Amino acid sequence: MNFSFSEDQVLLRSSVRSFLDEHCTPAHPRAMMDDARGYDPALWNEMAKLGWLGLPVPEQHGGAGLGLVELCIAIEELGRAAYPGPYLATVVLGGLALLLGGSAAQKDKWLPAIASGEKRASAALMEDALDWDPASTAATAVTAGDGWTISGVKRFVPWAHVADIVLVPARSPEGLSLFLVDPKQAGVALRRMVGIDLCSRWSEMRIESVRVGADAVVGQPGTAGPVLESLLRRAAVCASAEMLGAARRCLDMSVEYAKVREQFGQPIGSFQAIRHRCAEMLLDVENCHSAVYYAAWALEAGAEDAAVAASICKSYVSESARRVCGDSIQVHGGIGFTWEYDLHLYMKRAKALEPLFGDAEFHRELITRHVAGAR
Amino acid sequence: MDLNYTPEDVAFRKSVRAWLEQNLPRNPIRTLEERRVWHRRLYEGGYLGMGWPKAYGGGDARPMEQAIVADELARASAPAPTNGLGLGIVGPTIVVHGTDAQKTRYLRKILAAEELWCQLYSEPNAGSDLAALRTRAEDKGDHFIVNGQKTWTSAGSIADWGLLLARTDPAVAKHKGITCFLINMRQPGIEVRPLKQITGSSEFSEVFMTSARVEKTDQIGRLGEGWAIAQTTLGYERGGRALARITSYASQYGRLVEVARRLKRHGRPLIDDPVIRQKLGRIWAELEVERYGALRMLTLLERGEHPGAGGSLTKLSYSEFEKRFMEMAMEILGPYGQLTEGAPEELRLEIDTAVGEQGTWAYAFLWSRAGTIYAGSSEIQKNVIGERILGLPKETRADRVGGAR
Repeated sequence: MNFSFSEDQVLLRSSVRSFLDEHCTPAHPRAMMDDARGYDPALWNEMAKLGWLGLPVPEQHGGAGLGLVELCIAIEELGRAAYPGPYLATVVLGGLALLLGGSAAQKDKWLPAIASGEKRASAALMEDALDWDPASTAATAVTAGDGWTISGVKRFVPWAHVADIVLVPARSPEGLSLFLVDPKQAGVALRRMVGIDLCSRWSEMRIESVRVGADAVVGQPGTAGPVLESLLRRAAVCASAEMLGAARRCLDMSVEYAKVREQFGQPIGSFQAIRHRCAEMLLDVENCHSAVYYAAWALEAGAEDAAVAASICKSYVSESARRVCGDSIQVHGGIGFTWEYDLHLYMKRAKALEPLFGDAEFHRELITRHVAGAR
Repeated sequence: MDLNYTPEDVAFRKSVRAWLEQNLPRNPIRTLEERRVWHRRLYEGGYLGMGWPKAYGGGDARPMEQAIVADELARASAPAPTNGLGLGIVGPTIVVHGTDAQKTRYLRKILAAEELWCQLYSEPNAGSDLAALRTRAEDKGDHFIVNGQKTWTSAGSIADWGLLLARTDPAVAKHKGITCFLINMRQPGIEVRPLKQITGSSEFSEVFMTSARVEKTDQIGRLGEGWAIAQTTLGYERGGRALARITSYASQYGRLVEVARRLKRHGRPLIDDPVIRQKLGRIWAELEVERYGALRMLTLLERGEHPGAGGSLTKLSYSEFEKRFMEMAMEILGPYGQLTEGAPEELRLEIDTAVGEQGTWAYAFLWSRAGTIYAGSSEIQKNVIGERILGLPKETRADRVGGAR
């Protein structure tokens, strides 16, 4: 039993943090808010050189071959820096999906390109049903020659506008299948969905009778259900790691501010009203840390409770991170409500991730299903 | 990171489970004498005082082994041993701060339940502000004479000995004038009165000390060191019960799910109601997060590190969770949750309480109010977290300077 990071993991965290402290100061996400792409390709290439884009990619495909714990360590730091870019979309939604379900040829083609920074990816997991259960998929794939014709409307597709490939679940005659779709090909229309976090980019993706070949299906047709469920769990835990990073940044800023901001002739941190709130924030953050890294370990180790741990993680962190970020604004008072002050960068990041891959309510139902059975 | 138990720990757990199957009392324990018998059987099995030095009757066991034993006892709904304070607080205090003579004199009798102990800390006007305590211990040459009143003394009515905090120097700042003693409860100057709680039961007492005697040899640590000693003792027990506490919660949760299958509202079982399912999912998530936290705590203890102020985070977390858990259980059970008797038998509402006794949800609900008050209220824990972990400035407080008088 050892619930602590190894030396290598501690080293990974500090190297990611020190790089981001230098290259992703708050000025960087601010600069990207008005950028058409929304991310900096030069920084992306630096991240590739550092090996971050291939963290979970096996060494044979040009990656570092590390596990979900390491991935979450890196993503937590990205959240702490409010990093703007398609990291989670590419490495988790694209990379992990291909690792979970892709054919050898698909892995050979895409994983080295993801690890090297050359290609970006995403997955289109949400439709109008607003249900993260893959079984709710309504998009269709009709057999056409040796391939398929895909139609459907997807919402909240992260970073689709800069993706080279999007993984699209659709119902084919064989059952639920997962397809690789080039978002730039004819028949695909992207429309930007602008949320409060200008550094998290989403698109509506309309797919109208788009032809894909036989090699576009991920794994075997009709077998996407388990792959998508596994992907959803991993994405939920990785998103939680990013929310944790954002929340920890908000906590750190609040504590530092409470030490120096004076009212009534004293630092406000000396007042119990503020000190107790900060203590509650720390408890939330530490419990989120437990939830994230337990789930990451459980998924990586294939533990018996891995699936329920992922749902526990997402439901717990979604609400706790929101509370910590909100409380940080309260601790700061008026300045925390200004655009100029950086708190809202992190608060909005946590908020943007809260509904993705299942909100707290969605995952609580899954938890109850695990411990008490289905309705 | 590896959250699997080692093969040694798995084997040890098996051996504890097998022992319990052989030795668990077949009938409910009703008298103190029966509890002493069970206590001694546990001790003979090697399951009490596990972390204490072998030289004084302990087992030199690792924190994980202690946690596993407590966990298996909880899993089996085993009755508690007697002398909980002796085992949890007094013994560890003597182990760390006592003289060799004190260790020889007291430790084995705690383990054998020959002498039962209580803790004499809180006073009517010294609760959260424990350092404001006014019980006086006056130096009379070869002994001290103690005068004052203590409250919230658990097991006070059956205790032979007490661990006492008393003021020995009223002239210095209040934290510096307190000394720690062992006091014989079986003497004329001591009167114990049961304190009836909101549960209707009396697990606690008030203790009145009038010219009671404490031997010089029963002073723990140096004069004026009592406050520092008390700070360390409150944290001793938390690691050992870390897993057991969660296992008790989990067994209560299991009962709650069963009842939710049997109880119907609007003609359908509660377990099929989406609102109830949300509540059940929330409790399980929080309960598991507490378990993860316990594993983090055990990781620290296994490495020989003291959790320090981190213990305040753990205590704040589980005690506040227990309150939310019981409130939500009450919501789910509706009016049945409040019943202490008279519930329809087919609902089988009875539960195991945290101390391993059969009880009611109503009793467990009321008890959940205690955890955020005893052993440092949530507010005190937040002060500790704010000052010692986050480094926030202390309040300007008049009582941090000058004499206690």
